[in-house]
Amino acid sequence: MTVLRFREAVRAAMVEEMERDERVYLVGEEVGHYQGAYKVTEGMLDKFGSRRVIDAPITESGFTGISIGAAMVGLRPIVEYMTWNFSAVAFDQILNNAAKLRQMSGGQLSIPLVLRAPNGSAKQVGSQHSHAMEHFYAHVPGLKVLAPAMPADAKGLLKSAIRDDNPVLFMESETLYGVKGEVPDDPDFIVPLGVASIVREGTDVSIIAWSRMVHVAIEAAAELEKEGISAEIVDLRSLRPLDEETIVKSVTKTHRAVVAHEGWPYGGVGAEIADRIQRLAFDELDAPVLRATTLDVPMPYNARLEQYVIPQASRIIENVHRVLYKS
Amino acid sequence: MAKVLELPKLSPTMEEGQISAWHKKEGDAIDIDDLLAEVETDKATMEYKSFDRGTLLKILVPAGSVVQLGQPVAIIGAPGEDVSALAGGSGGAAAAKPSAAEAQPKGERAAPPAGGDAPVTSPPPAARGEAVSPPTQPAAPQPSSNGRVKASPYVRKLGRERGLDLSSVAGSGPRGRIVARDLEGLKPAPAAAAAKATAPGELAAPEVRPLSMMRKAIARRLTESKQTVPHFYLSIDVDADPLNALREQINADLAATAAEGEKPAKVSFNDLLVKACAIALVRVPECNAQFTPDAILVHQRVDISVAVAVPEGLVTPVVRDVDRKQVLDIAAEVRELAGRAKAKKLRPEEMANGTFSISNLGMYGIDNFGAVINPPEGAILAVGQVRQEPVVRGEQIVPGRRLSMTLSCDHRVVDGAVGATFLKVLRQLLEHPTQILLG
Repeated sequence: MTVLRFREAVRAAMVEEMERDERVYLVGEEVGHYQGAYKVTEGMLDKFGSRRVIDAPITESGFTGISIGAAMVGLRPIVEYMTWNFSAVAFDQILNNAAKLRQMSGGQLSIPLVLRAPNGSAKQVGSQHSHAMEHFYAHVPGLKVLAPAMPADAKGLLKSAIRDDNPVLFMESETLYGVKGEVPDDPDFIVPLGVASIVREGTDVSIIAWSRMVHVAIEAAAELEKEGISAEIVDLRSLRPLDEETIVKSVTKTHRAVVAHEGWPYGGVGAEIADRIQRLAFDELDAPVLRATTLDVPMPYNARLEQYVIPQASRIIENVHRVLYKS
Repeated sequence: MAKVLELPKLSPTMEEGQISAWHKKEGDAIDIDDLLAEVETDKATMEYKSFDRGTLLKILVPAGSVVQLGQPVAIIGAPGEDVSALAGGSGGAAAAKPSAAEAQPKGERAAPPAGGDAPVTSPPPAARGEAVSPPTQPAAPQPSSNGRVKASPYVRKLGRERGLDLSSVAGSGPRGRIVARDLEGLKPAPAAAAAKATAPGELAAPEVRPLSMMRKAIARRLTESKQTVPHFYLSIDVDADPLNALREQINADLAATAAEGEKPAKVSFNDLLVKACAIALVRVPECNAQFTPDAILVHQRVDISVAVAVPEGLVTPVVRDVDRKQVLDIAAEVRELAGRAKAKKLRPEEMANGTFSISNLGMYGIDNFGAVINPPEGAILAVGQVRQEPVVRGEQIVPGRRLSMTLSCDHRVVDGAVGATFLKVLRQLLEHPTQILLG
């Protein structure tokens, strides 16, 4: 075990996998000479050289498309975007090629591709850089979507993603890069896709979250504990595949659920989770499933408005009060 | 001109009632005597009928609410009339207290705002450092008019598992929804929760059954009786052979003479006993009396309360003027009253103002017991089963039948000698039972 920051855990996963498998390489804006826009790829150019750590021009559609082609013929690219918001430029490649080619080729092609980038809100980077894009991609059959909250999970899941023979989208959070945690050194340590973790045991309500919102939920749970409310936190880690078994097990124990995520409420992943809960655990529900989300507006630039729009612990707490009929 | 409807007194002892179901919904046209709602009182489920004509403009308290006498429950008036002033000032739903919340400390929670299921999408005012005006209340959704119990899926599951009657539970959730805490009472306070680690020998979590209105009434009245009424008890054993022979003959004759295709009537020990008590009460009127601080009231009618067990507890329907009724009529009446008692369909006046009570546990195999007086009556007779045992006849021990009974007396009204006289008369009647038929 070593204490690593989230960014170091991501880097460790890539380095280990690139050492393990010659076919794995990294491409993206500023991943090489600049050492990464968020210093995730620091030192990797020196370590692996420019053949395997490739600085790309600002052409998301282009280098995503090339990577899909490379994956089709046997390489295993890791694509880094400066932010998931910019992946919108490559949306056609991701949706229409990466996600569909395996099925459209009758299984003759596989796309062992990893796309990774920071995601969601940061501090005053404006509306076009503040989306939580996992909701757009989790909608698509053929894509796998991961959004870890803890450094160890970041490492274990990214290693699983790189070894997976299908396109996996890996969502990081700019605000989590500095978060520290114990991370296993074992190069064989992986976290399987589609398995949630219970980061806090509780009895009164299940707070279901991923990525940055797990940390906000932990903050909310500490406040709730002072009121005598015992909150269980389910860290999904993986949005597609989704670990509905752990969700149902938790709700069966607590009888109430609040989903906390960044991103807009309309048609978000939270709605999918609420549906699964009402379908699979209907008899266990003592209250409707509620969602603490980003407000239904483009992200404001103004600092106070931004804080108002992003889901804070207070929004989770209020929704917990609602499902406990305490508001 | 719109009018606020207040909860009327539907039974003589009622101080509060629980609206178990609304039968009209907002916007419905109401005529005089239309059934507005069903109200569960301390003894029965009553029909609340309209005294007015008009349109039901607003329901102020959702089904499941416990409402005090005189508290506004609805507004009736002309279609489309603006009732916001009336509704706002009447206290309405906010004043209706969910019964399960009665035990809650003050400030535990207020009723949820209307539209209680909308997720919170704004940070609290405090976080914004500014004052906010209170949100305007949208119109409260209408409670279903079909009397459906609103309960969360989890509560329904618990109800199925534990065999609970949810219709008797007051819901504290939005629109009267029954939620888990209404079944479980309060969560332990934070301090208690911390100490919840089960030590060996600690009490395991019990199943919590909320008090129904009936349970509360039983608890209140009988505690009052046992604490304030000076009980004493007189027991006798009666030779029940003659009574048994008579009953068998009556039922055999009823069967033999029943009209073609009709189910023959039947007479039970209890029917004969009710009639025998009535005759004895006429002869010893001091036992048909009640104490008041100023005087003893000796009742001139013999109205006997018969205790009937129902799933929720017990009720005491009253058979009136028993001394002037035939045994067969008494039998039919007791059967009919008991049936409606079990269906919670007795009207309060049918359970009020008895002058004497009989409680019979014979059918449960009880030999003898002492009953608690049903205030404000002066006495109650507890009756056991007719049992077979060796009895002494002359110098012989022979098989015989015996019936034990215990008279509980209010010593303020009935002295020992009086109670004994009553039992002596009763014994004579029961041991010479043709007199019961002629009484």
